[in-house]
Amino acid sequence: MVTPQLFSGQGVVYSVATMAIESDLDLMLRVRDGDAASFEILLRRYRLPLVSFFCRMVRDQGLAEDLAQEVFLRVYTSRERYQPEARFTTWLYRIATNLALNAIRDRKDTVSDNADHDSEGGPVMERFVDPHPSVEQRILKAERERAIRQAVEALPQNQRTAVILHKYQEVDYRQIAGILNVSESAVKSLLFRAYEALRVRLEPLLREGQI
Amino acid sequence: MKCLEKDQLISYAYGLTDESAAREVRAHLGECSHCRATVEQYGRLDSLLDEWKAAEPTPEFDVRVRQAVDVRNTGRAAWAFWNWGWARGLALAGLAVMIASGAVWFSRGHRRISTFARIAARPFHSAGAAPRPARAAILHAAAPAASTGVRLAPHTSGPSAATASRSDDNDVQALEDYDMAANFDVLSEIPKGDSRIVY
Repeated sequence: MVTPQLFSGQGVVYSVATMAIESDLDLMLRVRDGDAASFEILLRRYRLPLVSFFCRMVRDQGLAEDLAQEVFLRVYTSRERYQPEARFTTWLYRIATNLALNAIRDRKDTVSDNADHDSEGGPVMERFVDPHPSVEQRILKAERERAIRQAVEALPQNQRTAVILHKYQEVDYRQIAGILNVSESAVKSLLFRAYEALRVRLEPLLREGQI
Repeated sequence: MKCLEKDQLISYAYGLTDESAAREVRAHLGECSHCRATVEQYGRLDSLLDEWKAAEPTPEFDVRVRQAVDVRNTGRAAWAFWNWGWARGLALAGLAVMIASGAVWFSRGHRRISTFARIAARPFHSAGAAPRPARAAILHAAAPAASTGVRLAPHTSGPSAATASRSDDNDVQALEDYDMAANFDVLSEIPKGDSRIVY
């Protein structure tokens, strides 16, 4: 069993080389056996992908971090029951996807009420703006980003989830089938329709890019 | 030349197809400018979608995760302690002692109220009774103070030795009775708290 002191002290020693070499599966098996350092490596490895995933799914940084934290907590608490049959990321994103969909369902009204918050240049958007471009460039960039985000958000929920997993999290479509618990052909069909819908919606921006 | 289905082109553009199918599409694109333009458009869409950036975790994120794990570990440790048989037995025994102590304390409080209620039920304390007579008035009362409930011997005008002696005895008894009733410290018998006695 992992002792709390190991986490409290943050005295876990790990190296970049270790993070690169150790597979998720090996790390998770060691976490199951009580190795706090392995959990720390998994935390470092997946903190950014998970927070990014939740940010795109729920569009609220605070909630995104809360949900990502919950994923790590669930991974930790269910470590003794972990069975290395499926890939670790499939398991991880299945937990994450379920949490995100539940959060979207619970916060549906709130999200629609705040829909214009960051489209007006709120805190989430501003964090990524290049500190040096002109005001005009900033406005154009923000407008493009808003258009893309709205196009993705306009997709049906299952298509949106599939696109975010496939395009932004770089999860293979076979894995997405495992995460969403549907067939591979169903995932392909979701992605076909989603990318085609995005191409149609974002055609003005695509034409701009050609000029 | 017949163009490929859009699904085939999307599959090729986004890597949703196996290698043999990808080879076929590549061969077709070498000859079909329309399909090539479509694939290029999906390529531009892919680049465009990259412009949607997501936030990075705040510096506090890792700390919060560790704290959450700490809290979970603490909870599990407490539960593990409970699962030890002797610890559970000890806790239950302590609880039983506390309940028993409370029951004893509660019953003692009720007994005090009952004692007081018996004293208070005497006619001396009954509602509408005459004011308590002075000690000297009892000794020299011309008639028994029936209204006070105190036994007093009838006062005689021509005392013989025997009647004088009996009268003295009665007076002493009456005085003792009076003292018992009058000097009874009522307030000391009222239990603390909200218990109220209505006369």
